[in-house]
Amino acid sequence: MVNLTIDDKQVTVAKDATIFDAAKAAGIRIPILCHDKKLHPFGGCRMCLVEVEQMKGRLIPACTTPVTEGMIVRTTTDEIMTARKLVLELLLLKHPLDCPVCDAAGDCDLQNLTYEYKVNANKFTDEKFRWDIDYENPLIERDQNRCIHCGKCSRICDEIVAFGAYSFVNRGIEAKISTPFDEKLDCEYCGSCISVCPVGALIAKPFKFKARWWALNKVKSVCSYCGTGCQLTLGVKDNKVLTTVYDEDQGFHNGQLCSRGRFGYQFINSDKRLTTPLIKKNGTLVPASWEEAIDLVVSRLSEAKKSDPSSVAALVTPRLTNEELYLFRKLFKDVIGTDSIDHSAGYAHKALTEGLKESFGITASPSLIEDIQKTDLLLVLKSDAYETHPVIGFEINLAVKRQGVDLRILSDKSGKLTRLPDAKKYIHKPGSEILLVNAIAKSILDQNLADPAAQSLPGFDALKSALAAVSIEQISAAAGVPVEAITRLATDYAKAGKALILLPIGLGYPGHGSELTSALANLAILTGKLNKEGCGILILGEKNNSQGAADLAIHPTAGGRDAGAILEGCTSGAVKVLYIAGENPVVSYPDKAKSVKALESGAFVVVQDLFLTETAQMADVVLPVKSFAEKCGTFTSVGRNVQQIRKAISAVGQSRSDREITAELISKLSGAACGGSSAEIFTEIAASTPGYSSLSTDSLGDNGVIYPVVITPKLVPVVGVVPETEEGKFALLIGSSLYHCGTMSRYGEGPMLVCGESYLELGRTDAGKLGVSEGDTIKLKSAAGELNLKVKVGTRMPEGVVFVPYHFETSAINSVTAGNPVTWVTLSR
Amino acid sequence: MIPTELKRELQNRIAAAVTPREAAVDVMKELQAHYGWLTDEAVGEAAGFLGLSTVQVEELATFYEMIYRRPVGRHVIHVCDSISCWAMGGESLLEKIGGTLGIETGGITADGLFTLLPCCCLGNCGQAPTLMIGETIYGKVTVERVAEILEQKRRDS
Ligand code: SF4
Ligand code: SF4
Ligand code: SF4
Ligand code: FES
Ligand code: FES
Repeated sequence: MVNLTIDDKQVTVAKDATIFDAAKAAGIRIPILCHDKKLHPFGGCRMCLVEVEQMKGRLIPACTTPVTEGMIVRTTTDEIMTARKLVLELLLLKHPLDCPVCDAAGDCDLQNLTYEYKVNANKFTDEKFRWDIDYENPLIERDQNRCIHCGKCSRICDEIVAFGAYSFVNRGIEAKISTPFDEKLDCEYCGSCISVCPVGALIAKPFKFKARWWALNKVKSVCSYCGTGCQLTLGVKDNKVLTTVYDEDQGFHNGQLCSRGRFGYQFINSDKRLTTPLIKKNGTLVPASWEEAIDLVVSRLSEAKKSDPSSVAALVTPRLTNEELYLFRKLFKDVIGTDSIDHSAGYAHKALTEGLKESFGITASPSLIEDIQKTDLLLVLKSDAYETHPVIGFEINLAVKRQGVDLRILSDKSGKLTRLPDAKKYIHKPGSEILLVNAIAKSILDQNLADPAAQSLPGFDALKSALAAVSIEQISAAAGVPVEAITRLATDYAKAGKALILLPIGLGYPGHGSELTSALANLAILTGKLNKEGCGILILGEKNNSQGAADLAIHPTAGGRDAGAILEGCTSGAVKVLYIAGENPVVSYPDKAKSVKALESGAFVVVQDLFLTETAQMADVVLPVKSFAEKCGTFTSVGRNVQQIRKAISAVGQSRSDREITAELISKLSGAACGGSSAEIFTEIAASTPGYSSLSTDSLGDNGVIYPVVITPKLVPVVGVVPETEEGKFALLIGSSLYHCGTMSRYGEGPMLVCGESYLELGRTDAGKLGVSEGDTIKLKSAAGELNLKVKVGTRMPEGVVFVPYHFETSAINSVTAGNPVTWVTLSR
Repeated sequence: MIPTELKRELQNRIAAAVTPREAAVDVMKELQAHYGWLTDEAVGEAAGFLGLSTVQVEELATFYEMIYRRPVGRHVIHVCDSISCWAMGGESLLEKIGGTLGIETGGITADGLFTLLPCCCLGNCGQAPTLMIGETIYGKVTVERVAEILEQKRRDS
């Protein structure tokens, strides 16, 4: 620790602190323009000049100068004020000062400091900049005339996003921030550069001219897309969510979001929102009153309950709040008495509910997001972890670039993560993950690298004998990864001081189920990489509340039908009433024909959703629900963080929350009143859900609470099967696009502007062989059907392997897939 | 596309540097020597070798005056326009050479031989005004002396 004096105040700070940090810790504000706590010190603007007794004669930038013992600092002498004023005058010299039409006005550091330092005249004169404004790209308007050359956009895009879209080019008065070859920006559209830009040089296009910053009501909430659980602030005016507002103090991610979180909010006030209940009459859905709709649903449910409770089934999206999921479970499992309730086609949660359950005795990951930057070796299953959870991707970038974490990627394709500095990739044949993980386990045992303590754990002998039958050579041949690479990875993983495994799961990754999870857990258990900082395994649940759905057991637990069986049950006539909340099986479940058949089977189908989705269009009753911005409640995100969402606007149309609807159904069906606020229901959840017992909505606060778990490790042998291959065909992999999450992001304007339709991605060699290039249409044919898709040529896909994202209804990929990790297809022009 | 030999040489140079970035100027200069100027293709290749993004290479390329991001003549005449040379008539020298060659600064003579560019202090202030062609520095230059030098260059080409 270092002691110093700032403006006569005694301050003690860590020895790597700067004067700026020390002042901040002491509650003294030093103005900054180019400094950002997330980025490496830059020292470009000189706004933060201070005086240091020991360095008299010149003014010192506070943001880059480390503290030293006994330093005496002054932050506001006349000389300093004059110097800062001069900095502002120089910056304003070429600045257009078009504040009346600038979206940053009110939130602009230059404007605010100019006001604070009363810069109402300029002793210099010069021409203004005359750069062309980039209106071309879909989401970010770049007006270099307003740029103050702080370099933050280029630094954040490089240091944290690891994309590198911008850099300064030219010198002196010619200098400006440029994109590669000064072309239109074409990037990840995470908007991080917009958030850190201190002025209006970078603005969010969808928000342009929508509202003045100061007129926005800012409501803290949690992103409702993926499981990362980024905190966000909604900018609200006139009962509409108009933007997301950056707050650098929010969450582990310091307010940074991905393109879905930042630009995907428009679904909330979309014109496509359902505003009234609909009832199918003579084959068409027509508006109805809530009373009529609820009465109909209640009568159908109680009829079915009376004759055979197991003829009722429910598919519920893990996008709902914990409170809503809890009531859903109560309604179906307790009030109606059916165990047939599931989500995410079943397999998108089995990693948690079966894999972790078997290996660790719990249904949540033992590790946390913060372990990513604290580990020594990070083993990521599939480069897609970046696409599915982009802000966790930023953590991986930081782990590699700042902490020197050794990144290993076991994947069927390359990607953003495999390009990180010194990342080692093991590109394997599609579908051979379990084989490879088993081979690693075997090599750990062969090399005697297992933790002695592991030998006394349950399952050790079983695993050992199961692995005895495994041949690393054969696996190497089947998976296409050299033996030395496998054994080397085993050695490095086992010998690393700390090692963490990441596994993304979701509807797009049917191979990431319970078996792969247990195989991975075996590695951690075998080598004792558990229960320690930076160690263990972190499962990345796909949706905002995937973890909550696992915690609340929104899946069959007493022999009921799982998602697949529910759909089959509809078709066979065994399921008479199908209740669907927020799920869209027609688009997102594998085997579209199966879902369509089930919905057409004659079962009475109730859908509650935000939109008239492809599934809702086939329902008998459609109930409009509130979005996350219209309600309160909690989500549990990756790493067991229970966080609160807050109501930002009142209901759109006549929509009601899933909680309100379910509570009413429970009351009507059970005859006992079911009401209660979210907070009250949360108390019930806390009382009945393992791990949640110490939580209350009050204790969650702004940052949420990570609930504790205790694990009981068990080694679980799993059998890897050599994936079938089909000669002359391509291996089709499905998965997530960086700009989408599930099917909901299709209603967010931002994601659709960047990626508005499905595509087929393949490598250059294959494109050459097939004679197709970017933008061409290609025909894809599988045993189940055929499709035409736009071609995207890139460097990610190995030869013979192609990728299609699963989010889209037009050219829906589930019309050619049936839920296998790999589908063999033929491609033709 | 660059010849395999040059590629290997560049890779060796990068491997010998502590960080790839350090070798960036060398790499750009070699590529420039190969192409005549640092083409977009060369920027892409440099980025590939150095593990940087193209815009990061562009940042360095546009910082250094001797890296040309536009086509230039076979000989580039850099006339110093910093303070000492300016005081010793550098500005009119630049203008006059332009007149003799019939080009604006930045232009290429019709025979493709010369490009004329102003530049920063060449560290030869004592001999102002100064200009540089290729790796050679010429001090105390006069219009007559320049004419001789250019004639020599023409004959050599
Ligand atoms: S939006 Fe994100 S990826 Fe694109 S330039 Fe900005 S920071 Fe970089
Ligand atoms: S665009 Fe904004 S963030 Fe980037 S350098 Fe200019 S002022 Fe800074
Ligand atoms: S989609 Fe996921 S990663 Fe992106 S902002 Fe939302 S929670 Fe964060
Ligand atoms: S904030 Fe310190 S130099 Fe810019
Ligand atoms: S000023 Fe021209 S060489 Fe120094």
